[in-house]
Amino acid sequence: MNDRLSETFGALADPTRRAILARLAAGEASVTELASPFAMSMPAISKHLKVLERAGLIARGREAQWRPCRLQASPLRDVAGWVDHYRRFWEESFDRLDDYLQELKAQDSKNKAKEKKHVRTRREN
Amino acid sequence: MSAQDAKISAAMEHSEWDLVMTRVFDAPRELVFKVWTETQHVAQWWGPKRFTNPVCEMDVRVGGAIRIHMRAPDGVVYPMTGVFQEIVVPERLVFVSSALDDKGNSMFDVLSTVTFADERGETALTLQLRVIKATAQAPQYLKGMEMGWTQSLDRLGQHLATVQK
Repeated sequence: MNDRLSETFGALADPTRRAILARLAAGEASVTELASPFAMSMPAISKHLKVLERAGLIARGREAQWRPCRLQASPLRDVAGWVDHYRRFWEESFDRLDDYLQELKAQDSKNKAKEKKHVRTRREN
Repeated sequence: MSAQDAKISAAMEHSEWDLVMTRVFDAPRELVFKVWTETQHVAQWWGPKRFTNPVCEMDVRVGGAIRIHMRAPDGVVYPMTGVFQEIVVPERLVFVSSALDDKGNSMFDVLSTVTFADERGETALTLQLRVIKATAQAPQYLKGMEMGWTQSLDRLGQHLATVQK
């Protein structure tokens, strides 16, 4: 499936996995090191690491026996780029919504002013 | 760590991958909710600057459909569909929206939660977006759309500059 981005978003949807990535952004770490801040079993951590690895977000070293985990940032850049574009789409829409609301309010107060004037003229008659 | 990686790391710690945006509108909550849920109003503001919405349909009830065709200033039409999942008048709207390619297949599905909070007569609107699905085409699509509007603004700027000469 040509859904790399979905896989990245899926991997990022979990707070534990995000915390693992944040830790790895500061440098490579062993599985034991990554597991230490969490009250979680090693198999549970391994499962999260597998998801991250499948999404191409981390790589496991083969050289050392402790097989350090490393962050691979390129899929994150794709996601960050996507989010940026989407944010701009909504910022533009919000700007227009803001203008439109002001327009509606201005119209409304104009109509009210007219009504008042109308009432006043009737009273004068 | 590069600046980009530092940014990524910071974003991760704040769990900002699901986009959250808040904006305060100087209008009562009922009015803001109304312009989000009545199509004659939605069509006036949905999408970036100078986009129009030749098709704008909403069936505002749980399970009801959304269909919006946005037309960029460069003439390209961007269709999207959606389904309402939750409606609490005038507080909350939850819907899934999908951007469609030219064959009508979804390129990305986004779950949007919009909350409207009354703040002494003004309205704080919070939009939370969670990407459910995104194909490889999705970034290109948004990029194209953005070029559609920024280039047309550039053209407008150039046009104004020539007119003023």
